[in-house]
Amino acid sequence: MTSIVLNAKKEVGAVQLAEPILDIRNLNVGFARNRLIAIDALDLTVRRGEIVALVGESGSGKSMTALTAMRLLPVGAGIISGEVRVHGRDLLALPPSAMNAVRGREIAMLYQQPKIMLDPTATIGRQIAEPLQIHRGLSLKDAWPHVIEALRDVGIPEPERRAMSYAHQLSGGMAQRVMIAAALSASPDILIADEPTTALDVTVQAQILKLLVRKRDEASLAVLLITHDLMVVSAIADRVAVMYAGRIVEEGETRAVLRSPRHPYTQALLRSSLLAAEEDGRLYAIPGSASAARGLSCGCRYHPRCQAARSLGIEERCRSQEPSLSTASASPGHQSRCWGVQVTAGGMQ
Amino acid sequence: MDAIVMNVFVAKKFVIVLITLLIVSILAFLVPYVGSDDPARAILRARTVDDALDPAAIEALRAELGLNRSLIAQYLGWLWRALHLDFGYSFATRTAVDVMFVQALKVTSLLAISALILAMVIAVPLGTIAAMRPARMFDNAVTVFTQTLIAIPEYWAGPLLVLFFSIHMGWLPSAGWRDFNSTILPVVVLSLRPIAYFTQVSRSAMVEVLRAPYIGAARGRGLTASQTLVRHGLRNGMLPVITMFSLWLTSLLGGSVVVEVIFGIPGMGWLLYDAVLNNDAPLIQASIVFIVALAALINTITDIGYALLNPSVRLTHDKA
Repeated sequence: MTSIVLNAKKEVGAVQLAEPILDIRNLNVGFARNRLIAIDALDLTVRRGEIVALVGESGSGKSMTALTAMRLLPVGAGIISGEVRVHGRDLLALPPSAMNAVRGREIAMLYQQPKIMLDPTATIGRQIAEPLQIHRGLSLKDAWPHVIEALRDVGIPEPERRAMSYAHQLSGGMAQRVMIAAALSASPDILIADEPTTALDVTVQAQILKLLVRKRDEASLAVLLITHDLMVVSAIADRVAVMYAGRIVEEGETRAVLRSPRHPYTQALLRSSLLAAEEDGRLYAIPGSASAARGLSCGCRYHPRCQAARSLGIEERCRSQEPSLSTASASPGHQSRCWGVQVTAGGMQ
Repeated sequence: MDAIVMNVFVAKKFVIVLITLLIVSILAFLVPYVGSDDPARAILRARTVDDALDPAAIEALRAELGLNRSLIAQYLGWLWRALHLDFGYSFATRTAVDVMFVQALKVTSLLAISALILAMVIAVPLGTIAAMRPARMFDNAVTVFTQTLIAIPEYWAGPLLVLFFSIHMGWLPSAGWRDFNSTILPVVVLSLRPIAYFTQVSRSAMVEVLRAPYIGAARGRGLTASQTLVRHGLRNGMLPVITMFSLWLTSLLGGSVVVEVIFGIPGMGWLLYDAVLNNDAPLIQASIVFIVALAALINTITDIGYALLNPSVRLTHDKA
C-alpha cells in the first residue's frame, strides 16, 4: 500500500511564497432545519501550485466546504457568515448570476462518483467542450480540437474515438480522467477534488493522484483535496488540515502533521489508518462517534471522545472552554486546537 | 460500433413483432366464430327486414363466403389474402375492408396526432416549469389544473364546449369533419386528458432529472440553470414522456369512440363500433390485426427512439 506514495510533494520554501488562490476566512455554514452547524469558523488557504488536503470523517463538514466554495449548497443549507476569496475576490458577496462565470473558469470541482456525474445521454466530448463554449465563447466545432487534446492530456487512449463515447462505456478511472479534463478545460486556477479516488481501486487511485500532481506542477494548479484517506494525503498533499465537527483541529505541512500529530483526534485518525496499523495488523477504532459533538455549546468538540483530556486531568477545561488554534511544533504553520498541547508546551517553558 | 448495434437492435425488434402478429392473426381470425351468431345469418338479418331466414339462402351465402370450408383452410386463405392487404369485403356494407380502414384511419390519425401534439406543446413546458420549483405556487397550481383535467370526462367536456363555442357564441361548428374549424373542438376535447397526464409525467421526470448528480456537475462547469436544463435536463426528462406519448397514440389510433360519436366524426371509433354491432367478421378480424399491428409498430418505433435518445439502452439490449 505504501507504494502509492509518490514522493511528489514540493519544496517547502516555494509553497510559502506562492500567492493564495483560495482563501476561506471565518466561514460558518449551517442547516436551517435542525440548526446544525456544518462548518464552524473555518479558515483555510490554498496557494498557487499547492495541494492542500482537508481530512476528516464523514459529516465533519469537508464536502460542505467544497459546495460552499462552489456556491452549490443543497437546499436547506445556508451560509451564515464568512468569506470565500478566489484571487482576493469574495465569491460569497457575488450575485448568484455572477457565479456562472466563476464556476468552471476560476474554480472547478471533481467528485467521488465520476460516472454518475456525467450526463448519460450526452457524449463526453460535448461535456468537456462546455466550459470552452461558455467561458471562451467557442462553438462546439472550434472547441473539439481542444477536447481531443484535453482527453489525450489526461491519458485517455484514442481520444478522437473516446470523445464520442458515453458515460456508461467508461470505467470509473476513465470517467474520473474525463471529469478532470472537463473540470480543467477552461483552465481554472483552483480545483476542488471531493474524494476523487475513493470509489476507484488502488492502482487507478495512484494514476489519478499522479495526474493531479502533474497538473499542480504543469499548470500551477491549486488543489483542495477533500478526503478521509490518510494514504492519499501522505501521497500527494503539500499541506493538510484536519477537520472535526465543522472545526479545523490541526493543520500544517503534511510531513509534520503525519509524523508528529499533536491533536488527539489526528493521532487517533492516524492510528486507525493503514499508515499506522497496529503490530498485529489490526486497525485502531476511535471510541464514540462524531455525533457526540452535536449540540455542544462550549468546550472542545472532541472532548467527549478524547482520552488525552482524561489522562492529563484537564477534562474540566476541555469541557468548558474551546481552545484556539495555536502553534503545535517547530514546523512552520503547524497548528492544533488542543488544551493538552498548550498545557504541555506551557509546562516545558 | 453504434450502427451495427442499432441494426441488430432493430432487427431483433422486428422479429418479435412478426411472431406477435402471427399469433394475433390466429386469435383474430377465431373471434367472429366465438360469437354465438353465424355470420351468414347475421348478414342476411342485416340485409333483410324479414326475421324468418330462408335456410337455402343461408347455405348459398355460406358457400359464397367460404364459410363451409374447414377452419384451417379458411384461416390459411384469409391469412394469405391478408398478407396481400386484402381483408375481404364487409358483410354489412359490401365495401372492401381496406378501403374503409384507410378512410377511417385518415380521419382518426389526424384527430389523434393533432390532439397529442397539442398536448405535448402545452404539457412539456408546464411540467418543466413546475418541476424547476417543486411545491411552490406555480407547481401547486399545475397540480390542481391537471387533477381537474383528469376528472373531466370527454362526454361532459365535449357537449359543454359545443354549448359554449358553437351554440352560444356561434364561432365553431358543433359537429362534422370538413374543414379546419370543425376539427378544433374535437382536437381540444381529445387533448384534455393527455395534457394532464403528459404534464404530470414531464413534471415528475424533470423533478428527478434536475436532482441528478450530473446536473450539479454541469452547474459546476459554469452552465446557468437554464443552459443546464436545455443541455442536460430535457433530453433525460423526455424519455418517460415519449413512452407515454406512444401509449396514448396507440390507444387513440384504435379510435376515440366517445369523441367521434359526440362530434359525428367518421373515424376508427365509429367503424369498430359498427363492426361489432353487426358481427361483421372481416371487419372485426381486420380491426384486431390492425390495432395490434399498430400497437406493435408504435412500440417498436418508441423503443428505437428510446435507444437513439438514451445510449445506455442500446448497451442493455446488446448484453441481453
